[in-house]
Amino acid sequence: MKRKSILCVTLAAALAAGSLAGCGTPASESSAASADTTSAQASAENGAAIQPCEVTFWHAMTGQQETTLTELTDQFNAENEYGIQVTLVNQGSYNDLSTKLTANAAADTLPDLSQAYNSWLIPYLDKVVHLDDFVANDYDNYEDIMEGYREETSQFGFINAMPFNKSTYVYFYNKTMFDELGLEAPETWDDLLNIGKTFQEEKGLVSLGFDDMAGMLEATLRQNGSDYVNEEGAQFNTEAGQQALDFIMEMYNNDYARLVGEDNYFSGPFSNQLIPAYVGSSTGVSYITHEGWELGVAPLPGNTEKAANTAGTNIVMFSKDENQQKAAWEYLKFLTSTDATVKWAMDTGYLPVRTSAYESETYQEFMAGDATATASYAQTDAFFSSPAFDGSYDIQNAVNAKLEELILNKADSTTAMQELVDAVNGAL
Amino acid sequence: MQHNQTVRRRLQNGKGYLYLAPSLIILLVFTIYPLIKAFMMSFCEDYSIINGSFKGVNLQNYQDLFADDVFLKALSNTSIYVVFVVPVSILLSLVIAVLIHNAARGKAIFQTLYFLPYVTSVIAIGIVWSWIFNSNYGLLNYFLSLFGIDAIPWLNDPQYALAALIIFSIWKSLAFNILIFLSGLSSISQDIYQAARIDSTPQMRVFFKITVPQLRPIIVYAFLMGLINAFKVYNEVFSLFQSKAGPANSAITVVYYIYDKFYNSGDYGVASAAAVVLFIIILVLTMVQKFIAKEKEAA
Repeated sequence: MKRKSILCVTLAAALAAGSLAGCGTPASESSAASADTTSAQASAENGAAIQPCEVTFWHAMTGQQETTLTELTDQFNAENEYGIQVTLVNQGSYNDLSTKLTANAAADTLPDLSQAYNSWLIPYLDKVVHLDDFVANDYDNYEDIMEGYREETSQFGFINAMPFNKSTYVYFYNKTMFDELGLEAPETWDDLLNIGKTFQEEKGLVSLGFDDMAGMLEATLRQNGSDYVNEEGAQFNTEAGQQALDFIMEMYNNDYARLVGEDNYFSGPFSNQLIPAYVGSSTGVSYITHEGWELGVAPLPGNTEKAANTAGTNIVMFSKDENQQKAAWEYLKFLTSTDATVKWAMDTGYLPVRTSAYESETYQEFMAGDATATASYAQTDAFFSSPAFDGSYDIQNAVNAKLEELILNKADSTTAMQELVDAVNGAL
Repeated sequence: MQHNQTVRRRLQNGKGYLYLAPSLIILLVFTIYPLIKAFMMSFCEDYSIINGSFKGVNLQNYQDLFADDVFLKALSNTSIYVVFVVPVSILLSLVIAVLIHNAARGKAIFQTLYFLPYVTSVIAIGIVWSWIFNSNYGLLNYFLSLFGIDAIPWLNDPQYALAALIIFSIWKSLAFNILIFLSGLSSISQDIYQAARIDSTPQMRVFFKITVPQLRPIIVYAFLMGLINAFKVYNEVFSLFQSKAGPANSAITVVYYIYDKFYNSGDYGVASAAAVVLFIIILVLTMVQKFIAKEKEAA
């Protein structure tokens, strides 16, 4: 009787814990998948006969973005001369997509193509197809791709992706409110401090917010010529870094800036005129409603230097079969062509990936009537992307939590430096 | 003759196992196997689920785990959560169940109303509650302001985030408990109540001397399930703070930690070690609790 009950309890607990262990353990494991089919030995000559085939592309685009992606893909499917059919598979949110890629990497069932951030790829980098040969032998003017994107997609020492849905952080502001107080869009940190002071004094309003705190720290450091982090740990414990933190803590401790907290994104309170300006992704403009007031968009302010975060994913290839690789490459060439990237950018609010696309007549015309695109274009020279390496996610996580804590406690900037450095190095 | 009977019994047993097979197979594949696998992964240093490689078999993951402040925070948060949510929820739902049971009219309506949270998506409820907790427009702060209490930044301040989570979870767990208490109440023989009425026993006495003892096995069951579920809290955190673990990670729980370590950090070994630690905690508590319940029954 007694033994039975213990067994029963054990089973109950096993059931309970098991269902959660289950969420931590996809029950699949590929046996030492060292078979290196990943580097493209493809002698990708132009038009070397490609057999008709189906190419699967996993993405996380919704709404207008998905509509445009479908249109472009339909066009490719109808027009390509090899009978390649690209199938789009929506995998939900970026988080879902990342989770599914990890699970499928373990099961060795990755799709031909997928949207991905570099940081996702680290556990299964050996399954990513190297695109160097394709780019060298069969690509129209790779130098035309924006320099920042080329750097980002070759940070692992080979070309691991083609840039696709790219955005940048810009400064959104309520031009009506700014005009009323005789303020202009900021160009420097001093301007930001001045705007913060004016709004506090005149209206009792907090005047700035950042959707992405770790991104804010990195951009601010770079705007002062300081490094951020790398595999070794924190790289900002310098004079330039301390100045940047002084500025950040001055903004927050004086209530010139605030955390997003329960609002999750600043587009909400910004639309309701509860905060006169915020820094967020250029694609966030579609979430801003401005009725009865004028929306202004400006490049990010700088200090000794200009620096603006880029965001958005790239497209990565996982195909093993040579024919599949060639077919997938045809699609990548098409998606990153000037015409396609212009259409993509104009329909969705993402940015073109090519200089020639920015310079095209169609896009120039569009940009003249689009403040976000204009501001984004104005800072293309200042683009940077966050480095991805083993542990970079943990650092970002730790920095976000630590910054929130420091700001909520109104810490002084020396303490802030010490604790942030500890948080970064502790996360590694 | 003897032989024949054994064969027949064996055949019958075989048939029984056949009926059990589907659920046993599912249990083996989706519960037992992952459990064993997680145990194994937790002892492998730098385990990779992609190709199954690891550096060595040792306790490194456990050392890393207990050196991680975030995990310790998750552990203490989860403990506080369990200590508040489980007893309060059972107490409240017992009272509500008795009230519904004794209601003269509208029993069915109340039953349905209280059961609704159970069948509604946690994500949807979480969004609703994040608005109830909103510091500027939230219903809860409006209600408190009627008593002259200043607005509390429930979801913005690490001090209150866990409290908000606990309130939300208590409310959410009421539904299931009320349901099982109601079914328990209707199975108590009316004769006992009638006898009490003849003796004109006061209501309070009836509740404590008849209702509670009669519901005993069900209360134990609710406590056990509540305990196990509370230790596994994840969805509530995710939905209330909208895919964060609260301001400055202040409401992180053990399962949230496991998920984050596994899918976002790619620290499969550490995530497994945390899962094993949680498994042991639940196992021990469940056994202790079951033991106490048995002792009391015997006394």
